[in-house]
Amino acid sequence: MPTRFSFLASRLSQTVLVLWVVATLLFLIFRLMPGNPLVAYIDPNFTAEVQQALLRQFGLDQPLHVQYAVFLSNLVRGEFGRSFFSREPVSQVMWQVLPNTLVLTLSALLLAYAVGVVGGALLAARRGTWAEAWGIPAVLATRAAPEFWVGMLALAVFSFTLNWFPSSGATSPGSAYSTWWAQVASWDFLRHLTLPALTLALYLQGLPTLLMRSTMLEVMDEDFITFCRMRGLPERTILLRHAARNALLPVVTAFALGIGYSIGGNVIIETVFSWPGLGRTLVRAVAAKDYPVAQAAFFLIAVVMIVMNFVADLLYSLLDPRVSHERQ
Amino acid sequence: MPLLEIENLTVQYHTLHGAVQAVRGVTLSIERGRALGLVGESGCGKTTLARALINVLARNAAITGGAVRFDGVDLLQLSGGALNDYRWRRIGLVPQAAMDSLDPVYRVGDQLVETMRLRGGLTPAQARERAARLFALVGLEPTRLRLYPHELSGGMKQRVVIAMALALQPKLVIADEPVTALDVIVQHQVLRTMRELQETLSLSLLLITHDISVVADLCDDVAVMYAGRIVETGSVREVFAAPQHPYTMGLRNAFPSLRASSARLVPIEGYPPDLASPPNGCAFAPRCPFAVQRCWGDDPVLMPTGGGRLAACHRAMEADVLRIQAPQAFARLEATGSQAVEGGAPGGGIP
Repeated sequence: MPTRFSFLASRLSQTVLVLWVVATLLFLIFRLMPGNPLVAYIDPNFTAEVQQALLRQFGLDQPLHVQYAVFLSNLVRGEFGRSFFSREPVSQVMWQVLPNTLVLTLSALLLAYAVGVVGGALLAARRGTWAEAWGIPAVLATRAAPEFWVGMLALAVFSFTLNWFPSSGATSPGSAYSTWWAQVASWDFLRHLTLPALTLALYLQGLPTLLMRSTMLEVMDEDFITFCRMRGLPERTILLRHAARNALLPVVTAFALGIGYSIGGNVIIETVFSWPGLGRTLVRAVAAKDYPVAQAAFFLIAVVMIVMNFVADLLYSLLDPRVSHERQ
Repeated sequence: MPLLEIENLTVQYHTLHGAVQAVRGVTLSIERGRALGLVGESGCGKTTLARALINVLARNAAITGGAVRFDGVDLLQLSGGALNDYRWRRIGLVPQAAMDSLDPVYRVGDQLVETMRLRGGLTPAQARERAARLFALVGLEPTRLRLYPHELSGGMKQRVVIAMALALQPKLVIADEPVTALDVIVQHQVLRTMRELQETLSLSLLLITHDISVVADLCDDVAVMYAGRIVETGSVREVFAAPQHPYTMGLRNAFPSLRASSARLVPIEGYPPDLASPPNGCAFAPRCPFAVQRCWGDDPVLMPTGGGRLAACHRAMEADVLRIQAPQAFARLEATGSQAVEGGAPGGGIP
């Protein structure tokens, strides 16, 4: 379908444009910050020649527009330079932490939205009963509880007291796996994942639960639901096939956007549970003024967010036949 | 025995201002294979009555008394599951908001098939085949089964909903304002389709409308509803030729006649009573040019007036005289805004 294709093409070009703006902003922010980026790195006892050599090595002696051109061309090739500290290529650092963050975020989000969609639909179906009277405050409480506090409680109870789960990291020290997939599928990794993922899911489920409930209540008042009742369709069919299916639309959008938000917002959970992910790396890089790493982390967060926005649009058009991309 | 007998049915809405009696003791019957038109102005309880028949009411509404006998079985005494068996399999309904009655995320054909599979026990293949035949029956090309509701025009959606109502071959179809939202040409087409279907399938039809010309076009019998009550019933020809209740006379004056359009249209002055606190006397008395003392204190019941007709008016026996006076009487009421009192009604006076 040519119209479908042109929609995709136009949305993709918009996405690329936004990414370029984000990259440019990131480039400028790190250059405009006070102090030489290398201040933290260059020992004042170095001779002027050594300092110059180091600046040249990182390309910081070039005029700004040349630096910018180099930055963009590197970006296109997925190169973010080298860390000021570990001297490792930044892309390698990112490849080590990004998958961990994605696994944590996706598993927590999937759990939160699965529980939230079902829970929200049930809360709506049980309107005015004790389930609602207790359910809504419980959901609000878990949503309002600070993540770091819940995380610390979880660690204190399930890790330090009961000793059910390890307290930090993604794998036990000394463990080695042939591939990344083997690691993710390993029992050890899952045990490490459980607490941070559950804590994050507990925090995230508030939004889908309440959103699902309120949309569901709205949909239940629609004429087509009354028409289902008139036709004598089974209550389960009405609730699941018709009401929940329609109420799902905004929740799906929230889910895709939620991926973007939580990748950036995982800083707290990753820090509390010492999860070797993007958020923790970002915090450390900023604290240590490791600008190449911080730049790459910010950029990746922006990429995930923008891509997820795009995915949300696509999902919506799949779920709702009324959203047609064929007009514009 | 009539197909459907409604006896003294009452329905209440619970609102912040107390209970509102939307249907106040309606007694009505629908004969097999005949089309009954239920007319009345907006808010008189027509839709509430229709939805009460299969007990699909709004959350804050409840049936508080009476009986609804379908083939002799009182539907109101049935348990939820047993009543559900009557819904759609024996009583189909074309709801007022037919435009919004289809689920927007499913193809119309799938919704039709869903109904036939879940309620009619048809196999998918049978259901698909029957869906195509139903579409042809209501005048839609079967290719449209694959469309989503938003891809159909209003008239097409209306036809889809009518096809839905016929899906399980019910004996009775209730159509609530089936053409109100459509433009005049489409109205005519849809109504003609309904009439043909009613005759060829020998359905009983309860057609609810505020438009008496639709009833005149389509129905065998008519019931006139006012403020939650039936005030007059009879065959369409007789009732419209010689109405016996002043409200029916007023309605007839207020609508453009199909044949003679020379007569001036006279609206019925005033408003229906607040059904949160229904009046003691006749509910129409405050708007009636013929109200006498008795009308204010004594609520008339629906009584036979001969020839199978019923009317709820103390002066039904004088109807032949009142009918002649009616055009002027309603016009005078419109001009002065108050009643020309016969026998001195409280609250009304001659200026």
